[in-house]
Amino acid sequence: MAEILIDHVSKKFGDFTAVDNIAMTFADGEVACLLGPSGCGKTTLMRMLAGLEQPTTGRILFGGKDVTNLPPRKRNVGMVFQYPVMYPTLSVAENLHLPMKHDASISTAERQRRVDEVLDVLDIRPMAKSYIEDLDIGSRQKVAIGRAVARQSEIVLFDEPTTNMGVSAKLQLIQAFKRVTRRLRQTIVYVTHDQTEAMTLADKIALMKSGKILQYDQPHILYSEPSTAFGGWFMGNPGMNFIPATVAPDGIRSAILAQPLPTPRHLPKGETSIGIRPERILMSATASAGSVSGTLLDQAVGIAGRYLTSVKVGDAVIKVNTAGAPPVGLGGTVHLVVPHSRAMLYVDGLRVAA
Amino acid sequence: MTLEFRAISKTYGKIKALDALDLNVEAGSFTVLCGPPKSGKSSLFRILVGLDQPDTGQILLAGRDIVASPPALRPVGYVPQNFALYPHLTVAQNMAYPLTLAKFPKDEIARRVDRTAAILSITHLLAKTPDQLSGGEKQRVAVARGLLKDAEIFVLDDPLVGLDYKLRERLMDELKSLREALKATFLYATSDSLEALSMAQSLAVIDHGRIIQSAPPTTIYHQPATLRAMELIGFPQANLIPGTQYDGALTAGPFTFAATGANRAVTLGIRPEHIQIGRADTGLPARVTLVENLGGEAVVYLDAKGQALTCAMLLMDTAPPEIDAQVGITVAPGTVLAFDATTGAQINDISLKEIAHG
Repeated sequence: MAEILIDHVSKKFGDFTAVDNIAMTFADGEVACLLGPSGCGKTTLMRMLAGLEQPTTGRILFGGKDVTNLPPRKRNVGMVFQYPVMYPTLSVAENLHLPMKHDASISTAERQRRVDEVLDVLDIRPMAKSYIEDLDIGSRQKVAIGRAVARQSEIVLFDEPTTNMGVSAKLQLIQAFKRVTRRLRQTIVYVTHDQTEAMTLADKIALMKSGKILQYDQPHILYSEPSTAFGGWFMGNPGMNFIPATVAPDGIRSAILAQPLPTPRHLPKGETSIGIRPERILMSATASAGSVSGTLLDQAVGIAGRYLTSVKVGDAVIKVNTAGAPPVGLGGTVHLVVPHSRAMLYVDGLRVAA
Repeated sequence: MTLEFRAISKTYGKIKALDALDLNVEAGSFTVLCGPPKSGKSSLFRILVGLDQPDTGQILLAGRDIVASPPALRPVGYVPQNFALYPHLTVAQNMAYPLTLAKFPKDEIARRVDRTAAILSITHLLAKTPDQLSGGEKQRVAVARGLLKDAEIFVLDDPLVGLDYKLRERLMDELKSLREALKATFLYATSDSLEALSMAQSLAVIDHGRIIQSAPPTTIYHQPATLRAMELIGFPQANLIPGTQYDGALTAGPFTFAATGANRAVTLGIRPEHIQIGRADTGLPARVTLVENLGGEAVVYLDAKGQALTCAMLLMDTAPPEIDAQVGITVAPGTVLAFDATTGAQINDISLKEIAHG
């Protein structure tokens, strides 16, 4: 068993706090993605897990064992970096064998079995005898994954391994990654700045900003119920709409709501807004009981032929994502319904549950 | 001012960058030139700006050929793809540089710098030097510099390339407001078809130095003139499946349709959103090879009888299928486009009907 316990870890570089008192657990056998914009601290956190960086304060435990002061090679973790580090003049199979050769606990037969398994799972057997220097970056990175997982260390760390890859090589690598992780069930921490990659690979995503973890959740929860306005904006293309709201005696009012939302029992004071995903808003040419009217400013075909429109409601510009073309031309009036069940309340950027 | 490119050809060494290219750009339009890298976008822009001369052809601006005009006399503002900011100058000085060279009066330069900075929300950066700016801020300064000129036409060569997608989302919105604020003609190049669809009022698809279709973006998306236009425009990329039409049946990969028309070789084009995924016992059997989760949508990659297919589904309240799951797929024949396998042109005299899956 190798769960990763991050026990109130901070890392400072001079006056700059890269990682700010993070306390959390990555469960055994789970794929966790550290996701966030550049400078959020994800790489520093990963480097501390690897032993390449020492925490300023706090401890790191692998499977209950304190590894905070252990050097990288004593931590028994596999690592895959942005740039695959391998022996260019050795074959793929030799590169896979090499890290296990010096481990007396692995017999020759066992080593061969693991190399075979990795060659099959990653679908790289046809290139087993090829030299690394003859492979493209995608294939090299597959071999790097193979090498990191073949040792069967309980923890494997990935640092943006798909950087510099073309779209199809990236997809192939993601596919290989999914196969390996489902088969071998190691505890995996994967750093990326790419939302789609994190949503695709992770069992759970740790969304980071300014050295802190804002939310640690399954991808679909992170997307549909972001605990912060930052998360709502960051996930999705385009991100969530945030529309100013006010607290009135009869509930929460906003230009986008025909009827006020019930005021939650505990409502902190602060800047209040309604968050709603563009695809959750209904658009129609005719007014209805729950609709507000707006002016169609812009329309375009988006992902998978869906229509992305901008609608001006009061002072706010709302993005709406619909299956078909908008019912009126630019400058025309449309009616929008924000279902109350999909409208989320945020105060100073933090979600307030109903 | 209308802009017409007429039979523009340009060869660099042995490489034919532009091949008798024709394009009409309507006055006041925001026209996006979309095509793969090295399809001729930058070459066309350099010729329009006057940095390169075409081998043959004309550029008519309001009916007058400007090919022989020196760059400084062309009313064209330019944001090149590989822009460079002078590291020792402030943002304001960087922006003003082309006007300073052209010996504009100082107060006129200051007025324009202030106005353009306000439009692009970079007023707070004017006193900074480039090393104090983020990637997105540098990009905005480069755009601002290109817009400072009193131009009829502004040319932006892939201004968002290489930026992360949240920043692109924001800059796209800003550029759209700019489109409304400056009543000029814009020509904008990108190789990203989603960006093209989002930005364009008029879309010109360029490939191998020729315009293969020029129309409103929704027209190109729904009625691509050629197979290549369908391949280049749309995300995820359309499925293109070679097939044959023979005695009333059209077979392409795993699909068979009843079809009208002559016997011929065809290629079918199917948009990812037109493949419906259902239970394994409905429709054509397929296996899921990978699921990419975009948040609101999923891209599902399938293998159907050896044919790789890309399919898009809305995630709203449904979970995507798992890798290796067996599913059944259906395609409504009315959504399928057919192209002549030789010429690539869309075939209009064909009507497809479903045949029960065997």
